[in-house]
Amino acid sequence: MSMPTDDRPRPPTVGDERAQLEGFLDHHRQTLLWKCAGLTAEQLRQRPVPPSELSLHGLVRHLADVERSWFRERFIGEQVPDLFGVAESPGADFLSTAGADPAADIALLRAEIQAVREAVRGRGLDETASSPDGRTYSLRWVYLHMIEEYARHNGHADLIRERIDGATGV
Amino acid sequence: MTTPKDDRTEPPLVGDERALLEAFLDFHRQTLLWKSAELTPDQLRLRPVPTTNLSLLGLVRHLADVERSWFRRGVAGEDAPPIFYTEQELDLDIDPPPDADPDADVAVYRAEVAACRAAVRDRGLDDTFVSRRGHTISLRWVYLHMIEEYARHNGHADLIREAIDGATGE
Repeated sequence: MSMPTDDRPRPPTVGDERAQLEGFLDHHRQTLLWKCAGLTAEQLRQRPVPPSELSLHGLVRHLADVERSWFRERFIGEQVPDLFGVAESPGADFLSTAGADPAADIALLRAEIQAVREAVRGRGLDETASSPDGRTYSLRWVYLHMIEEYARHNGHADLIRERIDGATGV
Repeated sequence: MTTPKDDRTEPPLVGDERALLEAFLDFHRQTLLWKSAELTPDQLRLRPVPTTNLSLLGLVRHLADVERSWFRRGVAGEDAPPIFYTEQELDLDIDPPPDADPDADVAVYRAEVAACRAAVRDRGLDDTFVSRRGHTISLRWVYLHMIEEYARHNGHADLIREAIDGATGE
């Protein structure tokens, strides 16, 4: 069992702060997509590591919503609704519901990443924004949080993928 | 199910680059110990996800050697040989032998973290070293890599811990 072709970009080993933050975040965005590659819709919906209810499809939905929430809604202040109704139904993003199409949600994640890249271009790492919870966040914090958020969920994805078809890879 | 007491320190939301890098890394160091807290030695040795041989004990040993490798042998240039693995048996850190002692190994891990903090205290983020494979690597990259490394393994720890006793938590 082997993972699909790995064409993920590697973060530069030397570089300024912004280049490295973006490099690590992009690497983890691509890692999540890589962990989902080559699987059927049914495999993407599986919850193969009980008692955890996590699925690759659920992780894709969650990260799409997290990208939108942290970068666009909270940092930039765009008036964008959450993608899967988590405001009314917490955890709805993680659910791989019967009506949700994994391929459509992967396309949605890719589109959200593109929208986020455009939204934060030109914003400085020391710029801050106050989120609805009243706390003030710097863009530097948001980048670091997103790297840890993706990496942690990619750890979940590692074990889920291995359980689905035996494929592994860092 | 026992979710251990959580006294981890959250990273500051605003601050300079070095302060945030250290705080995110420390948060994940504490998270690994939190995921391993209040379990018996036998529980720490368990490999409860059928398709992987990962255990919490293996992760603690692995991260001790990863800390030592990047911060002490790499950045600081110390002559600090691997703790748990050997040239002949490269997986002895993450795949512990049956006689490994979890209490002793957690103590070794804690000591290694303290030694790594001391080793890089006076180094700048733009300081570089040349790795064994010939790459020039900055301390900035090492911090970011260690954050992603820990976060990814803490994702593994999440599912392992949940499979051991049902305990969850970010």
